[in-house]
Amino acid sequence: MKQIIRITIGLVISCLVAGAVMGGVFTVTDKAKKRNEHLAVQETMLGLLGYKDAKQVPADLKLYSIYRYIITDGSGSQYLGYLVPVAEGNETGYVLLKLDLQGKFISKKNIDISPEKAREAPERESALKAVLKPPISFRYADEAIVATLGKKRLAYLLPGEFLGFKTTIKAMLALDPSFGIVGLDILEHEEDPGLGGEIEQEYFKNQFKDKSYDRITKLKVIKEPLPDEYKKYLEKSKWQKGAFSKEQIATIRKKYQDKDIYAITGATISSKAVTDGVKGMIRKFAYRMGKLEAVIVNEKIPAVFL
Amino acid sequence: MAVTKKTNKQLVLDGLLSENPIFRLALSMCPAVGISSSVMNGILLGIAVLFVQVFSSCTISLLKDYIHPRIRIPTYTLVIATWVTVIDLVLAAYVPVAYKAMGIFVKLIVAFAIITMRLEVFACKNPVVPSFWDGVGMGTGFMFGMVTLGTVREFLGTGGLLGHDLIGTRPLLFFILPLAGFFCVGFIMAIFNYVEIVYKRMKRKRSIAQ
Repeated sequence: MKQIIRITIGLVISCLVAGAVMGGVFTVTDKAKKRNEHLAVQETMLGLLGYKDAKQVPADLKLYSIYRYIITDGSGSQYLGYLVPVAEGNETGYVLLKLDLQGKFISKKNIDISPEKAREAPERESALKAVLKPPISFRYADEAIVATLGKKRLAYLLPGEFLGFKTTIKAMLALDPSFGIVGLDILEHEEDPGLGGEIEQEYFKNQFKDKSYDRITKLKVIKEPLPDEYKKYLEKSKWQKGAFSKEQIATIRKKYQDKDIYAITGATISSKAVTDGVKGMIRKFAYRMGKLEAVIVNEKIPAVFL
Repeated sequence: MAVTKKTNKQLVLDGLLSENPIFRLALSMCPAVGISSSVMNGILLGIAVLFVQVFSSCTISLLKDYIHPRIRIPTYTLVIATWVTVIDLVLAAYVPVAYKAMGIFVKLIVAFAIITMRLEVFACKNPVVPSFWDGVGMGTGFMFGMVTLGTVREFLGTGGLLGHDLIGTRPLLFFILPLAGFFCVGFIMAIFNYVEIVYKRMKRKRSIAQ
């Protein structure tokens, strides 16, 4: 009996100490870690739009975030709440558009928050709480970013996550205004290195480039070896000067544009997970964006990206 | 095993060759088979294991007098998990470049047999300094094994090394498939065993001659 107590106490103490150490390190490193993640996301977004470093970014490129919330009112019925950036003179403000689940417009409320502050989740929440008073509750769903260049809508950037072979995979998609894929980047994953981990390699993720919306809805994974010329073409960062002429690029692009996704050798499940995840993200986004845009046009909301 | 009488240099050399974790002790075979498809993977996983092994070995040999023998294995797991988490968080916060390359490798380590075994066999019976050198030896030995496997598999599978194309063709695609890991580990293990037999035979001959 005495031994059991000693063992129990010993184990509890070891767990407590280990927990305290991990917790302590987490508190110390959390801020720096979040900042790094934020920087990495920014860099990924610009990279997907084709700007390799900050110097190339044109001055009139603007990134506007649309935040989606699920609103539940006192009686338990659910609504969608979109925080949409609007132009107020020269300033940018936010309105909250309340839609029912079918996408029909219900109400519009001005939210007192600047775009810089809106980036912080707690700031957004306190601003929303000022308009949505209890018993109405709300929770954050997702974010989509609209990139505009001058007056032109350049692309949508979608951060998202889906289930991989082991845990969730965080990815960022860039779509053109008609929902075709401009680029895909994997932000975070825990797939096995050398197998599923290859999803972050250019020869896999660049296969999604240039696929149109119609093609994506029918996209499959095929278990065929990746052709050598296509692999060379996909690994853009390894291109040597003059490796491909303009005509060659055009032919290869055309040849493989409508092909399905070639699975990674030894990681069919991860390849399939990414393909299905991307398909799901795009399908849902295209549907939601369609509904939201109809409301914005009908209600004459001065959204900044129109 | 009582307190070791080996010198520090011997400890490191043993970890590299005569007690190589992959080819002699046959520990941590899962990563050896699964992840050794390229040299770079081998180097990164090797570095990650080296650090976790050294830190955990030192911690356990410091705490060995306070650990109740019946809960030593859970304690080892806790120590390894703590170090893995700490290294993971610190890399993510202060060395984002390294984290991008090594993050997924660090997270894999918690369940590695080699680390728990070295704590059980060595660190819990020896003082800190030999434990440190044993950790260094085992870590570099593991890295050496992974790099050897990676070199063979990457060269034969993709015709290049470290991502650079060397011969322009892919001789045997089979070698980068997971299955080939078993074959490569087996063959290299056989070479190690053969060398040992030859070495022992020579030693015996020499002692007879004397």
